[in-house]
Amino acid sequence: MDLPDEAYLTGIASIPGVGPATMRNELAAGTPPEAWDRLRSRPGAPTDLDRLWARHQEAGIVVCGHQHPAFPDVLRDDPEPPAVLFCRGDLAVLERRRVAVVGTRNASRYGLGVAERLGERLGAAGVAVVSGLALGVDGAVHRGLLHTGGAPPVGVVACGLDVVYPGRHRDLWQRVGAEGLLVSEMPLGLRPTRWSFPARNRIIAGLSEVVVVVESRQTGGSLYTADSALLRDIPLLAVPGPITSPAAYGTNRLIADGATPVCSVDDVFVTLGLTSPTGGSAPVPEPGGVAGRILDACAHESVTLQALVDRSGLTLPETVAAIDDLCRTGWLAESTGRYERTTPVAVPALDVGARARR
Amino acid sequence: MLASITSACLLGIDGHPVRVEVHLTSGLPGFAIVGLPDTACREARDRVRAAVANSGFEFPMRKITVNLAPSSLRKAGSGLDLAMAVGVLAASDQVPGGELDALAFFGELGLDGSLRPVRGMVSLVDASPVRTVVVPAASVAEATVYGRHEVRSARRLIEVVEALRSDAPWPDPPTPAEPVRPLAPVMLRDLADVSGQVAARKALEVAAAGGHHLLMVGPPGAGKTMLASRLPGLLPPLGVDEALAVARIRSAVGEPLAGGELPMVPPFRAPHHTASPVALTGGGTGVLRPGEVSRASHGVLFLDELGEFATAVLDALRQPLEEGVIRITRAQASATFPARFLLVGAMNPCPCGMAGPEGCTCTDGERARYRRRLSGPLVDRFDLRVDVDRPSPDELLRGEPGEGTAVVAARVREARARAATRGVACNAHIPRRRLDDLCPVTPETELVLEGALAGGRLSARGLDRVRRVARTLADLEGHDGPAAPLHVKMALALRAQPLVAAS
Repeated sequence: MDLPDEAYLTGIASIPGVGPATMRNELAAGTPPEAWDRLRSRPGAPTDLDRLWARHQEAGIVVCGHQHPAFPDVLRDDPEPPAVLFCRGDLAVLERRRVAVVGTRNASRYGLGVAERLGERLGAAGVAVVSGLALGVDGAVHRGLLHTGGAPPVGVVACGLDVVYPGRHRDLWQRVGAEGLLVSEMPLGLRPTRWSFPARNRIIAGLSEVVVVVESRQTGGSLYTADSALLRDIPLLAVPGPITSPAAYGTNRLIADGATPVCSVDDVFVTLGLTSPTGGSAPVPEPGGVAGRILDACAHESVTLQALVDRSGLTLPETVAAIDDLCRTGWLAESTGRYERTTPVAVPALDVGARARR
Repeated sequence: MLASITSACLLGIDGHPVRVEVHLTSGLPGFAIVGLPDTACREARDRVRAAVANSGFEFPMRKITVNLAPSSLRKAGSGLDLAMAVGVLAASDQVPGGELDALAFFGELGLDGSLRPVRGMVSLVDASPVRTVVVPAASVAEATVYGRHEVRSARRLIEVVEALRSDAPWPDPPTPAEPVRPLAPVMLRDLADVSGQVAARKALEVAAAGGHHLLMVGPPGAGKTMLASRLPGLLPPLGVDEALAVARIRSAVGEPLAGGELPMVPPFRAPHHTASPVALTGGGTGVLRPGEVSRASHGVLFLDELGEFATAVLDALRQPLEEGVIRITRAQASATFPARFLLVGAMNPCPCGMAGPEGCTCTDGERARYRRRLSGPLVDRFDLRVDVDRPSPDELLRGEPGEGTAVVAARVREARARAATRGVACNAHIPRRRLDDLCPVTPETELVLEGALAGGRLSARGLDRVRRVARTLADLEGHDGPAAPLHVKMALALRAQPLVAAS
């Protein structure tokens, strides 16, 4: 048998009931082939190691154990390092600046908007965004990132790379694998389990220089990512939300407990030690007059056309004309029939409209 | 021994002339009906026998054959009863045959000899090849709608027979043929009752003026139904031809007309969301009956709780929306019914109905499922899509009443008159190939459209529709020449992107 150590690690990781902690303990006691020999008799263990290994090779998965040269350096000194990682895509992405953006699956429109905007801005600045490909915030941030096409995305998932979970994110999953990097601790074919999500969250934190929680409920999985970040001394930021919103309970609590609030996207850049793309140039002056009244009426909520008319006291045609100008100049964005305030960034005029999408 | 009586039967919404031929011959007494009668029509045998006997006449104890010609046409319903009874009496010489050729008979018989109304009397009388028709007294209103026939009516078989024998005059004075009398529009619910809601009111006005389909999205209690119910008052009254078409359909589904006058108010149909596809499109076994889309023809089809309708029901709307007619095809028959209506949809933004990011308690999956019920092509056919908010307490208590129906309806009439000069009933019907001619894009408006297209606020498919709506907005302001940039901006603002999956 001339299988590499990684093949044995793949075999061990495929055994039901063997998690990251068991693997670490077993590998501390011996080499991967020795550990495999001790564990292979467990019920449900793979019987044909050659075939399992061949399957990973054919799928083009990079399998790297702790000693493997491709193993991400940032995880080598991790307090709970994964014993083996399965990767698809370009591992060089991890040499970029990395920010994790995570949050609840059941996000509000506000949360989704913030996540998408974070993805767009970070991507445009060349920062790799690490997230979990879950529904809600995770999906939104990567959509924003892919939309600008700046930096490649990094997705850390809680199941085998061939098991798309959630199924609705199949397209996103494939694009992240093709244009960025997909990472998992689980070999091919393994379905996500209850414990694999918190385990995945520690890798998201471990891979990142800064962790941003966009929205989290009282008992959200993203709070586990936040804990992991604190354990690793990784700066933790949280996006404040309305105190009436259950989706913002966890994030507001994080801020109360000492996380840095994200008051603008620039705060993330400041934490990274980067000058934000807009930081250098003078901020665009806020429009006055009729347009100013519309912006005031918007009051950082998402409001309908009717609400803008009512609050601004303008006539319908005046409001409509002002809205069109504000959308064009990037002060306002329309989404599903509602208008929200945005901050224009210094980008060429033709590109302004791109942010008003969706 | 032989009698031939003129009548008609209903197929879909159209009447078809039928000759009822009655032949008496010696042989075993019996009564056979041939010529493709359906069950109700075949049962006429027993009704006619009892009605004739109970009216004091002799039912001939001979072999009776009734042929319904043309025999290839399927006859449904009980409308031929009277013609058969008169035929039997004429063939047995109890009624003189001389005058019969100049008369057509319609109506169902009761066992006691009473005459009962049948569905579709408007079309039946219209199909009559002879000028004088005899109908049940309860159907006089429908029979006189077209005013092309002389209508005689009776309540019982015996009255008909006595008049034919000249023993007694026709019971009711004959209704002379005269032109239709349009019914004055009744006082409809006034738009002034809606306070605030300028955006939705504007959308309503544009919908009425341009015939653009309208979708209103908003939480329960925002006033969507209230707004929609004001629409018939804004639409111009029906023309005589349209009113007659509406009366035909109403009569065919068995809805009586009040007072013999022609209603000129556009129909407003609001089927409940549990409606089946056939209820909406029309169909049914045996005789094909028009559905809600046809009953709303020339008027408004209001679908409240659009998101709760079955997907199959909503998708069945696509053909009528596109072509203005609906073709029902079954193994036994097919029919084409008119179905040119103004579609108004209302729905909640999500299953829990609480618009806004804070109040909504729906899960991501619930929202996605809700949105999937509306197919993209259907949403795309709504030229106008507005979000309707609940009015603020301030608005409800102290808001000034908005413009009344009369003021807005006058503007709508003006705008429709302008559209008529282009050869279309309303701007929504402007065909694509005439778009560049009738809704030209100027350099200024092109800039606005370009911005919207680049920003993703507008799809290529939506572009044409925005141009038509902008035309209507310009018409409403009495603006000649190409639509101005503000009209295009308004058209864009009234075409919000609702329910595009946010995640």
